[in-house]
Amino acid sequence: MKVVLKNIGKKYEGREEFTLKNINLEIEEQEFCVILGPSGCGKTTMLRMIAGLNSITEGDLLFNDKRMNKVAPKDRDIAMVFQSYALYPHMTVYENMAFSLTMRKERKSLIDERVQEAAKVLQMEENLYVKPSDISGGQRQRVALGRAMVRNPKVFLMDEPLSNLDAKLREHMRVELIRLHKQLGTTTIYVTHDQTEAMTMASKIVLMDDGIIQQVGKPDDLYMRPKNLFVAAFIGSPSMNIIKGKIEQGRFISDNRLMMITPTKTHKEGLEAFEGKSVSAGIRPERFESGGEYGDTFNVNVDVVEMLGKEKILYGKLDDGKELIISTPGHYKYQGGERYAFGYDLEAIHYFDQETGERIN
Amino acid sequence: MNNSNNGHKKTFLERMGEKFPFFQRKNKNKLYLSDRQPLTLQGKIGLGIAHLVLILWAVIIIWPLYQMVVSAFNGLQDGYLVLNRNFEFSLKHFEYLFNETLYLAWVRNTLFISISTALLTLLFVSFTGYAYSRYRFKGRKSSLMAILLIQTIPVFAGITAFFTMHSILSSIFPYFSRQMMLILIYSGGAIAANTFILKGYIDSISTELDDAAKIDGCSNMQIYRLIIMPVAKPMLMIIGLWSFIGPFMDFLMPRVLLTSPRSYTLAAGLFTLVNDFRTMNQPAFAAGGLLTAIPIVLLFVSLQGQLVSGLSKGSVKG
Repeated sequence: MKVVLKNIGKKYEGREEFTLKNINLEIEEQEFCVILGPSGCGKTTMLRMIAGLNSITEGDLLFNDKRMNKVAPKDRDIAMVFQSYALYPHMTVYENMAFSLTMRKERKSLIDERVQEAAKVLQMEENLYVKPSDISGGQRQRVALGRAMVRNPKVFLMDEPLSNLDAKLREHMRVELIRLHKQLGTTTIYVTHDQTEAMTMASKIVLMDDGIIQQVGKPDDLYMRPKNLFVAAFIGSPSMNIIKGKIEQGRFISDNRLMMITPTKTHKEGLEAFEGKSVSAGIRPERFESGGEYGDTFNVNVDVVEMLGKEKILYGKLDDGKELIISTPGHYKYQGGERYAFGYDLEAIHYFDQETGERIN
Repeated sequence: MNNSNNGHKKTFLERMGEKFPFFQRKNKNKLYLSDRQPLTLQGKIGLGIAHLVLILWAVIIIWPLYQMVVSAFNGLQDGYLVLNRNFEFSLKHFEYLFNETLYLAWVRNTLFISISTALLTLLFVSFTGYAYSRYRFKGRKSSLMAILLIQTIPVFAGITAFFTMHSILSSIFPYFSRQMMLILIYSGGAIAANTFILKGYIDSISTELDDAAKIDGCSNMQIYRLIIMPVAKPMLMIIGLWSFIGPFMDFLMPRVLLTSPRSYTLAAGLFTLVNDFRTMNQPAFAAGGLLTAIPIVLLFVSLQGQLVSGLSKGSVKG
């Protein structure tokens, strides 16, 4: 089912300002859409509005071109998985999964069929008749998924479903969720603050901050072509190095005059208009190199080297104390307390207008 | 306190153990398993004193109870209770209670009042507790505060108001008896006090459960009945139990409000056996008290398992 948000806004009772304003978003059929953002950015509110748990103050919510603003949650043909799983503690796993169908007064045989089917997909057949308190966190997570699955919903809504699991299990469930999505093909809207989850699972990421959608796109787009400074700083771990500076005679010069970047020909065109103006250059830690096309290099004093195996992360400072993070392949030899020279991969430099924060190139 | 063949000086306990096998530790090489530091001499003395106080306290409570039980079955007692060593087992006080007094009527009255109070309280507290916990409405905080403040005024202060209310109500509904007035008074107090308790308990239940139920197709009433009530069952049971016991314990209100001995509750009725020389029969009073305690104790014992297991099952997260 296609989900469309048109100019949606939300204002909570007793609040002065709108939590969300002018939200426009289209989620295509069968898409795995991840809503990503720091806490308090309004992503959960948005999900709850789609679910019908929060009212919509203004704008239209359309499911397949049908307006859903005033439809009760149970009639929206959705299922939701909650952060705390929200399993009914007094019911067995079976009863938990069957509850929504029982409420709809479906036939017993149909309920049983659906529950058994879901249990099979989730490999929970052996635990159907125990209480949620008797099973592990990962299994509870699966029960919550199963409870959503048995309804055969048109849209899955998930509110940080993996945040209560330990790291190993989270990785595992991530893959399971993608597999499940491929198998069922249901439109999924998934809320998280974890960018790894977003990058690995999404077919479309909606990055939000401060009640505004910052960028919508494939994980690739957000990483390779961040639309503004917020997206650039939020996506990627370790995060992008942002260097403040000016364009002087077609070249980028940092405010401390320690870094100079000569833009590539393609970048130059966009930057012409910013001659003499303040511009930020962003560069991902892994896009530094020794040397560089035009010989733009800079020296950095490395304080700390983090050895992660496949890569080494260098935490360094320029001569004026400006911090930089540089990532290099793990087998390169670097040591803390030394001074090294680095250049840039010029293709990979992002330029942002400092006034608006918008991308230039 | 290692074992004695280390050659160190024997402790007092070990020497005692040699003289009297009774004192010997069952396993001398027992590992020290407690997480606390071993007790110092000071600590041991303190512990001894604490035990002494507790034992004394227990005796103060248990001794009169013991006397009551003994007197209730002692055939040699009559009229006034006398503490003597003569004992002859007999059920004559119980017979007196059932044949010569209105004991059964009192039991009926008390049960009627208690059960009605408990049911009424549970019904209303369910609504108020749930509403105060889950809904935001105008005057929510101030009304909660008002309930809290009203609690500080003793019920008995309203006795004239109760009389007036009763006479007004009974002139409209002739069937409205004094006992029903009592039920209203008891449940009114219990509703106010327990609203707080239940609200607090429901507050601790994740609202995501409500949301999940809403998406699963429950109406607000169904959310409470099918999801919240079962989860809050232990607390509801305690509330029900307390409001059930209340009328058993209260003496003052029924004594003042109820006029004919036939409508007395147990507490008021049994009191006539000790305060009036015409009906004086203290052993029967003891017997009546003993019988009264039995249903309450049974109720506690039978519900105990549920109360405890319910409390530990409330968790949602892992």
